[in-house]
Amino acid sequence: MSHFFRAEQLVMRFGGLTAVNDFSISMEPGELVGLIGPNGAGKTTVFNMITGAISATSGRVVWLGEEITQFPLHVIASRGIARTFQNIRLFTDLTALDNVMVSFHHKLRANFWDAMFGLPAYRREERRIKEESLELLQEMGLAHMAMEKAGALPYGKQRRLEIARALATKPRLLLLDEPAAGMNPQETLELVGLVRELRDKYALTILLIEHDMKFVMRLCERIKVLDYGYTIAEGTPAEIQNNPEVIKAYLGSQTHA
Amino acid sequence: MPGASLFGGWRLMERTRRNALLNLLALLALAYALYLFDRYGTDYQVRILNNMAIFITLAVSYNLINGVCGILHLGPNAFVAIGAYTSALLTMSPMEKQMNYIIEPLMWPFSVLNAPFLVALIAGGLLAAFFAFLISFPVFRVRGDYLAIVTLGFGEVVRVICNAFQSVTNGPLGLKGLALHSNLWWTWGVAVVTITAVSKLVQSSYGRAMKAIREDEIAARAMGIDPFKHLLMAFLISAFFSGVAGGLLAHLIRTISPTLFTFFLTFNLLIMIVVGGLGSTTGAVIGAALFAWGGEALRIVEQPVQVAGLKIPGIPGMRMVVFSLILMVVIIFARHGIMGRHEFSWDWLFHKVRFGAARD
Ligand SMILES: Nc1ncnc2c1ncn2[C@@H]1O[C@H](COP(=O)(O)OP(=O)(O)OP(=O)(O)O)[C@@H](O)[C@H]1O
Ligand SMILES: [Mg+2]
Repeated sequence: MSHFFRAEQLVMRFGGLTAVNDFSISMEPGELVGLIGPNGAGKTTVFNMITGAISATSGRVVWLGEEITQFPLHVIASRGIARTFQNIRLFTDLTALDNVMVSFHHKLRANFWDAMFGLPAYRREERRIKEESLELLQEMGLAHMAMEKAGALPYGKQRRLEIARALATKPRLLLLDEPAAGMNPQETLELVGLVRELRDKYALTILLIEHDMKFVMRLCERIKVLDYGYTIAEGTPAEIQNNPEVIKAYLGSQTHA
Repeated sequence: MPGASLFGGWRLMERTRRNALLNLLALLALAYALYLFDRYGTDYQVRILNNMAIFITLAVSYNLINGVCGILHLGPNAFVAIGAYTSALLTMSPMEKQMNYIIEPLMWPFSVLNAPFLVALIAGGLLAAFFAFLISFPVFRVRGDYLAIVTLGFGEVVRVICNAFQSVTNGPLGLKGLALHSNLWWTWGVAVVTITAVSKLVQSSYGRAMKAIREDEIAARAMGIDPFKHLLMAFLISAFFSGVAGGLLAHLIRTISPTLFTFFLTFNLLIMIVVGGLGSTTGAVIGAALFAWGGEALRIVEQPVQVAGLKIPGIPGMRMVVFSLILMVVIIFARHGIMGRHEFSWDWLFHKVRFGAARD
C-alpha cells in the first residue's frame, strides 16, 4: 500500500443507485494508470470523490500520509491534486491566459493589501505568474491564443487548455477525465506523447479516464476496469485486453448502445 | 518565446509610465472641471454632479458583487442606510439630536457621540462592512435565487429596523437638519477612490479569482480557490463603499428617513449596472452618470403638458416608468449593456486612435 496516494473502499450512493462500489486504488509516484469502463460505470464519480467535489458515502482517501476524505474541493486542490473535466469547464469569458493564471492564485504569497496597493513584491509575483502561464500555454501549443477567450477556442484546444490550467495549480497527482474526447486521431496521437512528456517534466502521477482504447493501451502502465460501479479487472494493458470479463462488459454495453 | 515581445520588456514599462501620466492628467482635468462648477455652476448643475458622484460610488461597488462575482445581491440599500444613519448620528450636535428626537430620546452612547465628517463617513462604511460580515455566513451558504431572496430580506429587515428603533433612528420621522458637509470635492473624491480601489482589486489576482468563481464555481474550487473567502472579501469592500456613499448622501440631502432606503434604491442601482454592462466598472460609471443626468432631464415627462388645447396633468413617478422600460429593453435586446464586460483603458484608446488613423 502506498503512502503517496490511495483510496480505500470508496462507495458512492445516489439515492437508490450505487454509482461506485468498494473502489480501491493505490498509486506510486510517477505511475500512469488508466481507469476505463462503459458509460455510466462510475469513473467520473470516482474522480469526484477523490477530489472532494462530492463526499463519498463511505471509504477513505489518503494523500501524502494524511486522510483527506472529507476535505473541501479547494483544499484538496491546493494540496496538489488537480483535475480536468469530462464536460469541459473552462472560465469561458476569461482569456486563455487568465484561465491559467487563476490556478496560481491559491499559492499567491502577496496578501490582499499588497495587491491593492500594487506593491513591488506583488507586481513581481504577478509578472512571474504571467510568464509561467505563458510558458505552460506554449507547451500546450496555445501560446498564440493566449488572449483569446477560452469559450472561443476550438474543442481540442479547450481540452488542452484544461490540462494547462490544471498543471498551473502545481499538482503532484493529475486526474484527466477523457482528455482525448472529441479529438481526431491525429490530435489523440499527439496527446499520447504530450501526456508522457508532461509526466516526466513535472514529475506527475497520472490517473486518467478514457474511452479511446488505443489511447489507453498505448499510454498506461496499469489499467483498472469499472462496470456498474464494480471493479471487474485490473492489470497491464495486455492482461486487460484478453480479460473475458472486460470483453463481456464492453460487448454488453455495445448492445445497449 | 513568442509572448515575450508582447508582454515583457521596456515597451511595457514605457506604457505603464505613459498611462500613469495620463491618469494624473485626467484627474487634474476632473479637478479643474469641479473647480469651475463649484465656482460658476448653478445649484442645479452642482446637484446633478453630486448625485452623479454618489451614484457612481454606489454602482461601482454594487457591480463588484453582481457583475464581477456574478452574485445576485439585492440588499445594497441596507448598507447605504447603515452608512447614512451612522454618519448622521456622528456629525449631529447634541442639540440637534435633542430637537430631532421628540418622541423618544436618543439612546445613550449615540446621544453624546460626535465626530468630524471624515471620521463619520469612515465609521459608516466600517459599520456597513461589519453588518456585511455578519450576514455573509447565511448569505453565502446559498447561491442563485436563494441568495437573492436572503439579501432582499436583509434589505427589508434593515429598513424595518430603521422604522422601529425609534431610540436610535428616530423611526419614520427620520433625521432632519443635518449639516451640509457633502460638496463636489467630497462626493467626487470618494467616487475616484472607489473607482481606483475597485479597479485595482478587479485587475489583481484576487479579482481574477472572483471572476473565475463567477464563470464556474466548481472549476474555480478545483483550481484551489476558496469561494467563501473571495466572495466575503468583495462583499465587505462593496458594503464599505456603499456605507460611505450613504454618509455622503445623508449630508447632501440633509434629511434622511427609512423611506429613502427601500428596495427602490437597489432597483435603481440595478438599472445603472445593467444598462452600463454587468461586470464592467467603466459600465457602472457610465450607467450611474446617465442615470443621474437622465433623472433630471426626464423631469419633463412628469410636467403637465398642453397638447392641442388639451391639458394633460403631470404624472409623478413617470420617470421611473421610463427607466424601467429602458431596463426592459436593454435586458431583452442588448443584454450586455453599453460596455459589456469591457473596460476603458488608455491602451484601448490609443489602439483605437492608431487603428482609425491607419485606415485613412
Ligand atoms: N450527482 C449525481 N446524482 C445522481 N446520480 C449521479 C450523479 N453523478 C453520477 N450519477 C450517476 O452515477 C452513475 C455513474 O456516473 P459517472 O458519471 O461516474 O459515469 P462514467 O463512468 O463517468 O460514465 P461516462 O463514461 O458516460 O462518463 C451514472 O448512472 C450516473 O447517472
Ligand atoms: Mg464520466
